[in-house]
Amino acid sequence: MSESTLEDAVARIRAAEDGESGLNAFLSLAGAPPSAPEGRAGASPGQGGGTGALAGALVAVKDNLVTTDLPTTCASRVLEGYRSPFDATVVRRVRDAGGLIVGKTNLDEFGMGSSTENSAYGPTLHPVDRTRVPGGSSGGSAAAVAAGYVPMALGSDTGGSVRQPAAFCGVVGIKPTYGRVSRYGLVAYASSLDQVGTFGATVADAATLLRVVSGFDPRDATSVDRPVPDFTASAVSGSVEGLVVGVPEEYFPPTLHEGVGSRVRAAVKALEAEGAVVRPVSLPATDLAIPCFYVIAPAEASSNLARYDGVRYGTRAEGTSVVEMYERTRAGGFGVEVKRRIMLGTYALSAGYYDEYYGNAQRVRRKIRDDFARVFADGVDMLVTPTTPEPAFRLGEKTDDPVQMYLSDVFTVTANLAGIPGMSVPVGTVDGLPVGAQLLAPWWHEGTMIAAGAAIERRLGGSAR
Amino acid sequence: MSVTRADVDRIAELARLRFDDDEADRLTGEMNRILEHADRLRAADSGGEDAAGAAGSTGGVVPSDGAPGERASSDHDVRGARADGADGRDQLVRPPADFSPRFEEGFFVVPPPHGVQAES
Repeated sequence: MSESTLEDAVARIRAAEDGESGLNAFLSLAGAPPSAPEGRAGASPGQGGGTGALAGALVAVKDNLVTTDLPTTCASRVLEGYRSPFDATVVRRVRDAGGLIVGKTNLDEFGMGSSTENSAYGPTLHPVDRTRVPGGSSGGSAAAVAAGYVPMALGSDTGGSVRQPAAFCGVVGIKPTYGRVSRYGLVAYASSLDQVGTFGATVADAATLLRVVSGFDPRDATSVDRPVPDFTASAVSGSVEGLVVGVPEEYFPPTLHEGVGSRVRAAVKALEAEGAVVRPVSLPATDLAIPCFYVIAPAEASSNLARYDGVRYGTRAEGTSVVEMYERTRAGGFGVEVKRRIMLGTYALSAGYYDEYYGNAQRVRRKIRDDFARVFADGVDMLVTPTTPEPAFRLGEKTDDPVQMYLSDVFTVTANLAGIPGMSVPVGTVDGLPVGAQLLAPWWHEGTMIAAGAAIERRLGGSAR
Repeated sequence: MSVTRADVDRIAELARLRFDDDEADRLTGEMNRILEHADRLRAADSGGEDAAGAAGSTGGVVPSDGAPGERASSDHDVRGARADGADGRDQLVRPPADFSPRFEEGFFVVPPPHGVQAES
């Protein structure tokens, strides 16, 4: 593929985004002249193409993955205009495989949110219904794929931030096993939960991008040295004949949106039709997952975000003393949700409360992990659940009540807490809005869920795009 | 367990954040609503394990990857690839002076601590 292909793609995206139907999916685009007010900065074209698994494929990158040729803002004022001095490992791997990076996508600030409404640069809009959210935090990447700007995109998933927007937007989203993909260059939110994930218009697209970015990286101390299976082959020629599929009762509560439940059950039927065997299972610690996650994640975030103090990089607010500089920089640079989570995390880790909150949360985390281990050891190959309790909600619907926003992650946080892989596949629509089914596999068995996702895609028709 | 306004002020100081009175009062209420849910963790039967033993540094999420010293094959042999520095580390494509607010003579320059005059 040539330089002009990237330029053409960027021109098309810019024209669409600047028009009345723009989604605010991108924070910066490749090859554009520098433009400070909107945060869109230039980058030299001429990357990727040629041979390689991605050979000229257009790829969007979430703006919490650092790039040397485009800004990395994490959708925060505290990193406005920041240019990283190094590329993330996954960015390098995309380019080495021939991928063409078109730009950096919008997100909830530092990955904290489920709607993209926490971006300091405005929310991304849902591609089907512009009064609704695309999900978050990787809403820009999901919307970019759903809108047809790119066939695949990188995101990050700490509590569902790839799977949930994939479900809302009707595209495929994969979160790998913790340690499968390098976090070097992924701006840290919660280091024991964060993973780079992939979006695709099809299961094969998401699987191919996952294969490209997976693999050991000595620069990431949590990267695990295991062979990377051929995930593309799993998508193209995998089978679910004889697969034992567990359906956990705790993920189908009475409050589940009726349309979501019926579409997910149709996906289970689709797997049965392809030869899978379905079994009811129970994961009793599920109802503690949200309080567990919303202690551990903010605690880790409070530590990871301590570095944004105006000293070495990013925004600096002046002060008469160094402490005043820290406080003014952080108070002015961070948004409301980020500050809320830093406060929660600092409290949970503070003297006198550490064991009560963080200690208890880690003990419960072990119970959640053990639930999955027991079910998988008992002969279940994969689990199927709804990805979200409802389809995409309206802009502003949950912004006044942080607890309501947190509860929308109820089905996705368990995979991050346990470290298992998960993916969301489109399974139809309800009142015109996409619905996703979540597939959860044992550690290192992404191929199993990818093959199952492809089977569902064949039977139910795939992306809503 | 409830959070008071005084707690919020203390935590803000620890977190190097500052809030006006309205923000701090609102945050006190929000934190209490969120921590009501977190209080459920106390009632969970932990089975007597302590946090460190139960969870490890990553909550026990990373299974063992073989005996020490063993390396599985990988599609990406990054050990020697694209590490441009003589010591195998990444070379930054731009120096700190380019991306830091103030960098002089090899130091990141900040205001002095409260009450201390900056050297002229």
